[in-house]
Amino acid sequence: MPQPAQTLRELTRRRFLGDMTTGLTGVGLLQLLAGSAGASPEEWQPGRGQTHFAPRAKRVLQIMCPGAASHMDLWEHKPSLEKYHGQPLPGEENLVSFQGKNGNLMRSPWDFKPAGECGKMISSMLPYMAEHADDIAFIHSLHSKTNTHGPGCVFMNTGHETEGFPSAGAWISYALGSDNENLPTYVAIQDLRGEPPNGKANWTNGFLPARHQAIMMSDQQPIRNLKTPEGIAPKNEAASLRLLDQLNEQYASAHPAESDLQARIAAYELAARMQLSAPEVSDLSRESVEVHRTYGTDDPNKLKAAYARNCLLARRLLERNVRHVSLYCASRASGVDGLLNWDAHKTLKSDYERHCPIFDQPTAALLTDLKRSGLLDETLVLWTTEFGRMPTHQAGTSGRDHNPNGFTAWMMGAGVQGGISYGATDEFGRRAEVNPTTVWDFYATVLHLLGFDHERLTWYHNGLDRRLTDVHGHVIRDILV
Amino acid sequence: MLTKFPTGLRGVRSVVPARYLLLAVSVVAIMSWASTVSAADPAVSFENDISPLLEQHCIRCHTPGNEKGEISLATISDLTENGYIDPGNADGSYLIELVEADQDGEAQMPQESPPLSEAEVALLREWIDSGAGWPAEIVVEERSKADSSWWSLQPLKEAQSDVSIDDFIRRKLHEKQLTLNDAADRRTLIRRATYDLIGLPPTPEEVEQFVHDTDPQAYEKLIDRLLASPHYGERWGRHWLDVVRFGESNGFERNVIINTLWPFRDYVIESINSDKPFDQFIQEHLAGDVLAPHDPEVAVGSAFLVAGPYDDVGNQDAAQAAQIRANTLDEMIRATGEAFLGLTIGCARCHNHKFDPITQRDYYGFYATFSGVRHGAVELATPEAKAERQRRLQPLTKKRQELEQQSRELRATVLARGRSRLAAHEANWTRPPVDRTGTEDRFEPVRAKFVRLICEARDGNPGTAVGFRIDEFEVWSTEEEPRNVALAANGGKASGASRQIEDFPNAYGPQLAIDGKTGARFISAGDRLTIELGDAAEIDRVIFSSAKGESNPEHRKFEFVADYYIEVSSDGKEWQNVASSRDRQPVNREGHLDVRLWRLEASEQEQKEFAELSRELNQINREIAAIPPLPSVWIGRRSAGDAKGPFHIFLGGSPQKKGNEVVPASLASLDETVSPFELSAGTDEAKRRLELARWITDSRNALTLRVLANRIWHYHFGTGIVDTPSDFGYMGGRPSHPELLDFLAVKLRENGWRLKPMHRMIMLSDTYRQSSEFDAGAARVDGDARLLWRFPPRRLSAEEIRDSILQIAGKLDDRMGGPGFRLYHFMQDNVCTYVPLDQHGPETYRRAVYHQNARASVVDLMTDFDQPDCAFSTPNRAETTTPLQALTMLNHSFTMDMATALAERLRGEAGDESAAQVMRAYQLCYGRPPSGSQSAACCEFVEEHGLTALCRVLLNTSEMIYVE
Repeated sequence: MPQPAQTLRELTRRRFLGDMTTGLTGVGLLQLLAGSAGASPEEWQPGRGQTHFAPRAKRVLQIMCPGAASHMDLWEHKPSLEKYHGQPLPGEENLVSFQGKNGNLMRSPWDFKPAGECGKMISSMLPYMAEHADDIAFIHSLHSKTNTHGPGCVFMNTGHETEGFPSAGAWISYALGSDNENLPTYVAIQDLRGEPPNGKANWTNGFLPARHQAIMMSDQQPIRNLKTPEGIAPKNEAASLRLLDQLNEQYASAHPAESDLQARIAAYELAARMQLSAPEVSDLSRESVEVHRTYGTDDPNKLKAAYARNCLLARRLLERNVRHVSLYCASRASGVDGLLNWDAHKTLKSDYERHCPIFDQPTAALLTDLKRSGLLDETLVLWTTEFGRMPTHQAGTSGRDHNPNGFTAWMMGAGVQGGISYGATDEFGRRAEVNPTTVWDFYATVLHLLGFDHERLTWYHNGLDRRLTDVHGHVIRDILV
Repeated sequence: MLTKFPTGLRGVRSVVPARYLLLAVSVVAIMSWASTVSAADPAVSFENDISPLLEQHCIRCHTPGNEKGEISLATISDLTENGYIDPGNADGSYLIELVEADQDGEAQMPQESPPLSEAEVALLREWIDSGAGWPAEIVVEERSKADSSWWSLQPLKEAQSDVSIDDFIRRKLHEKQLTLNDAADRRTLIRRATYDLIGLPPTPEEVEQFVHDTDPQAYEKLIDRLLASPHYGERWGRHWLDVVRFGESNGFERNVIINTLWPFRDYVIESINSDKPFDQFIQEHLAGDVLAPHDPEVAVGSAFLVAGPYDDVGNQDAAQAAQIRANTLDEMIRATGEAFLGLTIGCARCHNHKFDPITQRDYYGFYATFSGVRHGAVELATPEAKAERQRRLQPLTKKRQELEQQSRELRATVLARGRSRLAAHEANWTRPPVDRTGTEDRFEPVRAKFVRLICEARDGNPGTAVGFRIDEFEVWSTEEEPRNVALAANGGKASGASRQIEDFPNAYGPQLAIDGKTGARFISAGDRLTIELGDAAEIDRVIFSSAKGESNPEHRKFEFVADYYIEVSSDGKEWQNVASSRDRQPVNREGHLDVRLWRLEASEQEQKEFAELSRELNQINREIAAIPPLPSVWIGRRSAGDAKGPFHIFLGGSPQKKGNEVVPASLASLDETVSPFELSAGTDEAKRRLELARWITDSRNALTLRVLANRIWHYHFGTGIVDTPSDFGYMGGRPSHPELLDFLAVKLRENGWRLKPMHRMIMLSDTYRQSSEFDAGAARVDGDARLLWRFPPRRLSAEEIRDSILQIAGKLDDRMGGPGFRLYHFMQDNVCTYVPLDQHGPETYRRAVYHQNARASVVDLMTDFDQPDCAFSTPNRAETTTPLQALTMLNHSFTMDMATALAERLRGEAGDESAAQVMRAYQLCYGRPPSGSQSAACCEFVEEHGLTALCRVLLNTSEMIYVE
């Protein structure tokens, strides 16, 4: 008994042969979908794999730790916090931030240890990640426009704090188009614990065409509507698709000027291919026991195991040339507890002792894997969060409040120097002080590595040629190879 | 652009970077000089020679709010205070050093504009040498690309009386040697017109009737029938809802669903169905609550103001809170500018608009106008309805007050008695109060299989026993080396109702109390926590906590039990009390002490009396709750406090940098055509909005009329005469047929701002009635048919696709109005999540305009087919084609359900013959019979795979969702 998949494959093969006779390849169909046929070759065209200049990176992995992962407790060592622990923050003794009053300076509950040949001081809560210190370019001087999670996440992902703007992955999808006709161009992998603050606005196409939105999938949740409905026999399904194809072909040939109609036929073919490829890419049983063990997919902590499986899924997607993978570690703010994400308002120590082990080993294994396989040479890895945390403790608690004025993100991989730290916050971690860097600078650099001038990657919307970098952004050249 | 302000209003900057101070010359000398404008006629004119030069090369980066290098060139003050110029001495002026090319031919400034030519530098030098006169009232500002002579701001041009739409179209076509196509056939026409006006396919009967109608007025009758259909408002109302960014959740982090905004959607549909004059409609959007405060059907229009997204997260940081408030008002300003005026006023928030003649002064005039508006729902009812409710409520609330009084008195009596005997009671309270970081109870060794904690009062709120937290609950055995036998690792099992997060089961579950870790805690949703031990054991001690090891246990995060007892059992049925808080001191001397004293002192009679009072109170409260509340509608609150000025320009858009004062006013660039208004700072906020509404809808406001006329054209033809319907500025498109646009705008005004006559006029034109037949020759001249040599075909919108499938399947529920339906499952855990449904029940079979569209939700078919997210106004929808559409249309159960329903319908209406079934199916789906070969192919398919399978295929075909 043939599987539905096989009958779909037949259809696809037939289409391919048909295309060869008309000189259209599968990629030709993709371009039909991109809707930009007929331009002169020397002019840059979006969606065709072309770039403004030679790229260093072909694809992006963006790891996002929502909830405002604390820079001074993970990546940016602040000896002064140890020295002045319990004393007021100079100059801001009466600081009122997002949730209210702040107390005195509070040291990180964990020691920092030198890592790698570069000797980068990294929190002892992240022993696995510390092994990658020599490959990472830390940016310690980011600052945000907002101190609120939702707008902060959206700002970090779209360059705008109000929602409705396209996410970085959507811009990249728009700029480059697909590099794998059988899989989505842009995938968002959400955490087992749910969506990040502001949910789908983080991976939206915004005002770009709908095809640039991220497809949501994770180890726990397959792509929606991927499966042929129950009760439709494979033979029936194959015949249905043949008849549909036939009727749509007739209609299209009666309306030769409507390229939409051809694109629609192509879309059904791509869908059929996706039905084959997506289950294959999510089938983690094809990975060795050793790989599973390294990632930690068998960990008794089911949150860690789930994230580890998503890390593995991310690697499989990148291997298959998905352009942009957004991988989430944690989700939203749930009431007063920093339970679901990195938002440690009240109990930093116990919260991060929960979050760090979920994040550390699987992420490090994914990076090791990318490096070993050579994928890292052409993959740009980004680690982001929406803002930082205060060097003080929140009044009446042992946690830290939101701090939009200084935080850390990092890059690694294609075209990025390793073992370096760019910019810094002040001695307590309160504000970006050395080389203050914006989210726009961050994405100007990302686009640069992908071969784009961020000022020329635009889309007209409601009165302006909009950009991922708004009207700002400078490439951070100091971290480039 | 030059703006003249009275000198007194100019801001004085104080930040002077040290490196510039080194260059400073005698400030005193300059100040005295700067205030004197040379009376002598200088060779160089500042206004004519220097100001344009600064405008072109410098001002974009050096202006208040964008002071790169901490210097602004808007006025003389920075230049002189920071020593950039030394009047009378160009050679010694730093400004010249900056702009003059060095040995390499490079100038340091400007960095982002073309360098100054030698002639320009010479002018600058001459100006400085001649004393650098700068009339004090002149502020240099960046000039926008368009000024008030921009085409869209000009008065409407009246056409000759006898021209028609077709004349304008034909004239343009003729210039390119093109012609209109022949008229489309009737089958095509009825399908086109029906979708266009009501968003649904014509029924097979309507098609046949029209095709065979011999009346020469058949087409006119068709249009009139469609315009009279209540479905017309649903279709054109949906267009308008796109324009006014109508969405039913607040977006941002919490994205809470809004259940009280649907009356606005109904208002839009009803207004459009009744062909309410649009000037009135717009006025109601901005000030319906002012025009008719006692008429909910008019006041509801002002929900427009608050129909957009806004950030409702409380923010204690004052600067951030101010920024959020500014963002909220910005959203209203943008929505207003784009929807009614086709102007991107929002671009003038941080600086004057770079393209259009809109200044920050204009923008902040609007800011002042809307400043009294806050998001939220308010009661909206007629005075009669309010009075009626009050009449029913009055006796009940009176009774309630009496009961409450009696209850209070009874309690006070008992507590007073208790306090008088406090010393005696206290003698029994030998143990300390509970401790969140660890509370221990020892008792006589007892054999137990079960142990439970029952809460009587929570420590943060003695009035309730629910909601306490436990991070660890230990039960210690009496063995030589005691063990915590409650531990899961030792076989313990915990149970107890806990707070639930729908998409993350057991996030706060009882298992957290016996996991040996203290970071995460059980949050009770009942009054107890029960532990079943792995094996029965002899025990003599429990220790429990909510904040073990925490340095700040007093935080509400660690809410704990106050009064409690511990019970054990061997079978889980019979329980024995082994410890309690009875001998502990109460947690505090207020509420907790009172609870204790009441329990100890109230006599049986008093307890009975109290219970009876409580019973009666509950009864009264139920009766009060049974009186229907007044309708609450999301039109926003109006706050006189918020509207209290003075208001200022925010330099660079930052509320922390206040510039000149502003008052509510009209846009200056339209002063020539529409009578401007400017209100004093103290004007009532209602009056501000009313004045703005009147100004926007002034019959001389050509912009509003043009924008509206263009929207109508846009929805009929797929592309507007201006192809950016909400942007009639420099960045927007230019009109393809400017005279036609003015003709339409004038007609709109003549027709009293009513849409229906406009539809009729447009749809009766040859231009509209022509076929969409393709012509390669014409396409070479005008590829996208902007000149309309054919009728442009289009794909259906998301709503039309879903509505059509439902109608064709015979399942469309055409009830109008009321609360919307949902194609997602809504979850709230502080923030909200919207998960698309796998099954769509019959309650969702209504027209898609009644879907409760939440922001940032993704709902399969609707999102796949480009229904906008409503984060912004969407003046024209995308029409994309994606594999996701195919996956949804093929595989979502909705398609299967509809295919099944359609097959049933076909059997019912066409019998069991497959040829007849196929015929009927084609008529329903496409409004035409199948060709011979199509019929044959479909029949063969039905024979082999069944009718439902065919229906699924047909619902997926391109022809279903395209209109010619």
